[in-house]
Amino acid sequence: MRRRPGIGGLQNAAAARDQYRLLGENVAKLRTDLMKEQLSTFRSQLEDFARKHKNDIRKNPAFRSQFHEMCAKVGVDPLASNKGFWAELLGIGDFYYELGVQIVDICLSTRAHNGGLISLEELCKLLGQRRKGAREAVAEDDCLRAISKLKVLGSGFEVISVGKRKLVRSVPTELNKDHNEILELAQAQGFVTVDEVQRRLSWPSGRATDALETLLDEGLAMIDDGDKDGRRRYWFPCVSSISSYAGADTS
Amino acid sequence: MQKLGEFKLPHFFNYPPYFTLQPVRDTREKQVQLWKELIIEYCRAQKVFIIGLEEDFPLFSNRAIERSLSHEARVAFLSALVSDGRAEWTDKGHKKCLILWHRIQEWADLIVHFVKENGLEDNVMTVEEIRSGTESRGTELYGIDRSVLMRALKLLEHKGKLVIFKGTSTDDEGVKFSL
Repeated sequence: MRRRPGIGGLQNAAAARDQYRLLGENVAKLRTDLMKEQLSTFRSQLEDFARKHKNDIRKNPAFRSQFHEMCAKVGVDPLASNKGFWAELLGIGDFYYELGVQIVDICLSTRAHNGGLISLEELCKLLGQRRKGAREAVAEDDCLRAISKLKVLGSGFEVISVGKRKLVRSVPTELNKDHNEILELAQAQGFVTVDEVQRRLSWPSGRATDALETLLDEGLAMIDDGDKDGRRRYWFPCVSSISSYAGADTS
Repeated sequence: MQKLGEFKLPHFFNYPPYFTLQPVRDTREKQVQLWKELIIEYCRAQKVFIIGLEEDFPLFSNRAIERSLSHEARVAFLSALVSDGRAEWTDKGHKKCLILWHRIQEWADLIVHFVKENGLEDNVMTVEEIRSGTESRGTELYGIDRSVLMRALKLLEHKGKLVIFKGTSTDDEGVKFSL
């Protein structure tokens, strides 16, 4: 189109823009429609799949985890409601509900010991012990799902990452970056000393003591003055397993 | 799982910080609770009646983790038991502590039960027989601390369930039941 200066030229440009915009919208709509159709096909295929592999999904944590991933990709949430197709087909709603209740219970009963912070590993282990007779095995992935459902209910549960590990928090205590770094340091031996924190993190002495005192006050740390070298150790129950303390396996 | 003889030790016993008195109140409460329970259960299982604070009581240290309870800690935990009515200091210096894993009233009930079980309602027995005779073998009364037994018997005497009388020597101190 020949560009013409003046008002006429401007009107043409505007009309051209409009036409392109309309075309663009149509293309987008077409794409969306196609996608919706694909998704709907995918969804019904997923339902067929779930029906066929119901037992595997129930019994096998790894399989179950992959199934959930597939669902997430398609925008299906089998846990969205307790009723409805998914919950009925797989009974999954109940499973995670039950898990959630057990998790809350474990967190409450270990709170006095660990201050309301428990490693995901330890939580799963205690869950496993509690569910010894149950049909369904439980993996960390299941725990995380159950906890995310708990979060939706506003129960104050949160999963935080400290170094390589995941910790489940069941109290409102907020951990700042300093606290996180100390917890990460503590994962190696289950404890830290003030010197060690200062040295490894290059902190001035006040900073280390303050952070440790806060963790102590929150019930997340315990002091140990019994070491031969006389240095106070700060132990963190949330990074150890309750049955793996030194000496626990000597018989 | 670590054991002391046949006694299974709880997990906290192997966690070093539990051997240091905790400064934070809630943590301290939890710590005291755990130690109280452990002491009572251990004494019940091993029939320990007296704990000497300066002696080598097995629960006071854990060699595997190289930790020992300080004197202050020992006093703290035992005092908590005393407050619960589950223990008594036997001396003003708080050097020895009598552990009542059964309260005196509970011991008295056990004696009544024992007498009825063995058809001794109108009988006479020596105090020594009650604590070491053939009938008491296998019961909780076997090996009971003598002073605890006397207190339980006196309690029952006060209620008219028996009469304590002196024999020719303390060894013959006897009891006539009238349940």
